[in-house]
Parts: sequence; C-alpha cells; structure tokens
Amino acid sequence: MSTSEESRSIDGLEIAPLTKIVERNQVWGRMAAKYGVENPVPPWKSSLDGICDALDHAACRTGVLSSKEQRDEEDKLSATTYSSLPYPENQLLALAHSLIGRGVIDETELQERLSAIRARLEA
Amino acid sequence: MTEHDHDHDHDRTAAPMVDEITDFEVLEIAVRELCIEKGLFTAEDHRRFTEFTEQIGPTPAAHLVARAWLDPDFKNLALTEPMTASKQVGVDWLEPTGFGTPSDFTAFHILEDTPTLHHVIVCALCSCYPRPILGNSPEWYRTPNYRRRLVRWPREVLAEFGLYLPEDVAIRVEDSNQKHRFMVMPLRPDGTADWDEDQLAAIVTRDCLIGVALPKVGVTTNAITDTRPAMHPAK
Repeated sequence: MSTSEESRSIDGLEIAPLTKIVERNQVWGRMAAKYGVENPVPPWKSSLDGICDALDHAACRTGVLSSKEQRDEEDKLSATTYSSLPYPENQLLALAHSLIGRGVIDETELQERLSAIRARLEA
Repeated sequence: MTEHDHDHDHDRTAAPMVDEITDFEVLEIAVRELCIEKGLFTAEDHRRFTEFTEQIGPTPAAHLVARAWLDPDFKNLALTEPMTASKQVGVDWLEPTGFGTPSDFTAFHILEDTPTLHHVIVCALCSCYPRPILGNSPEWYRTPNYRRRLVRWPREVLAEFGLYLPEDVAIRVEDSNQKHRFMVMPLRPDGTADWDEDQLAAIVTRDCLIGVALPKVGVTTNAITDTRPAMHPAK
C-alpha cells in the first residue's frame, strides 16, 4: 500500500473505542485541575514519545508509520476527528487511529486490550 | 524552636498526583504493548527512547551560546563545525541517544544573529526540531498556526510572542527538514559584561534559541504565550 493510500485509509474512519475515549474526555488539563497537579503534561507523554521514536527507528525494517507519516496524519486528525482534544491527547489518539487505519492494530483487539489493562491497573 | 527547626515529616511531603486511571493512560499502554507484541519494536527499544526524551533539554545549547559569547575561538568553532562544538557541551549528534539515532540525525547548523539580522526556526512541513541539543519542541512549535504563518508573516508572528523587532532588523526564517536542523545564536545583551558562562547560560532560554525571544538580563524562563488550535481549512 502506498503512503497516499495509507493516508486516505484514515479518513472518515470511525473507531468505536477511540470515540468513547474522546467522549469521556479525561484530558490531562481537567484531571490535573481536579487533583491539584501542576505538571504541564501527563505522565504518559514521554512514553508516547518513546513509542513514536521507536516506530520511526524501525520504520525502514517494518514499513510501518515513519515519523513523517505519523506527523502528517496527526496534523490531519487533530484538525478533524480529534479537534476537540488538546495536545498531547490528540497525538495519542491520532497514533492509535493511524495504526488501526493501517491494519497494524485491530479495533476489537484494541478494545479487549484496553479492558484488560484497566482491570490490571485497578486490581 | 523555630517552625522548621526540627526533623520533620509533614503530613504531606509528596506532590499531589492524579489518583485515577485515565483512558489516555490505558490507551498509551495498550498501543505500546500491541506494537511490542507485533514485533514493531522491543520493550528495551522503547525504554531507551523514552529515557532519551526525558533527559534532553535546552541546557547544552544555552551553554554552547554562553561559551561562544565568551570565547571567540569557540564561537568560530560553533559556526563552522557545529557538531564538534555540540560535542564539547555534551551532545553527540552522531549518537544522540547513545545507542542509535532517532529521527533527529542530520546536519546541524547554528544561525548567528547580527545587529541587523534576526533568525527564527520553524518546520513548515511537520515539526523537525534539534531535539538532541534543545530537548522536545514546545507545543506551539508543532501547531499549523505557527508553521504556516511564520514563513509568511514572520514579523507579525514574532510580535505575538512579544518580540517586536525594528524595521531595520531583517528576519530570516530557517525552515528545518528531515536532514537539516538549526538553532539560533542570539546577540549577547547589554548589561552582561562581567558575567561568567553559568550566568550567561541562565538567560539563554529555549525560546531565544528558537528565535521567538531575545536574551534579557533577569529573564530566565520562556515566554508564556497563549496558543490556540489552527483554524480549520475552508471547506
């Protein structure tokens, strides 16, 4: 699949687990204010950066989502599907969206993993 | 006994934290685990890249500029062999992470301001930034608002950061790309004649190195600016 075809595949894609996350709106600014936290970015931000760098580093081998592709799609999705979210929440949602759009991650698989991780963290 | 003249363990010494598991935290873990399981990268790769992003910052660049202000030979080195000069402040562009190169590797250039020429950097294409020596880019640097408008209306955009340049100072916008990264070497401000490197480095903030601010005596933090999402393209 060419880059332009991959890019098109993210357009108009409705991804239920991601839509639900947008609707619940647990964005860092709101959560930080609720708990009196002053850190400007959420604790998962550097790990998200690590994912993007690791994907880009491996892109020559895997053919999956170079930094340029990820940023272009982040720009596009942040102005459309995830325009209600601040940064870096929109960066995270766009990354998940791009990976699902490419078929790297399956939507059902993501939903199951989200539930399993939440159960693990709340155990 | 004064108020703090005791071995104390106040009720609360830890900073507050968000005591709730958010969807975004869960999603970040899910994406990471699935990528690792699918063989896109290893947990070790991820840990190292995360460690890299957490330890980088603008301090080496501030010292590079401060040292250049004090030492003409080092300034010449910085302008002619910027990667060698970077190494002398602890940044190796060939191995910025110590184990491989993220997307940053490249040719690095230092742009010297003069009394009649001011530089400012941007990445009109995406958000290329000299991370090994400046740390992660600020949020506004990534916005289409900054990227699209700076190249067309630099004087006006700089004014939005509170930087009003006289008309006789030309502005050169340097557009970064996948292979070329830039930082600005601003002019040393008045009132710093007998300062040492640490004093000078303290006023060379990240924004001065991007070119949206000028170093000033007494200013050691970046400008706080309001940013907003870019306007959506017209339908």
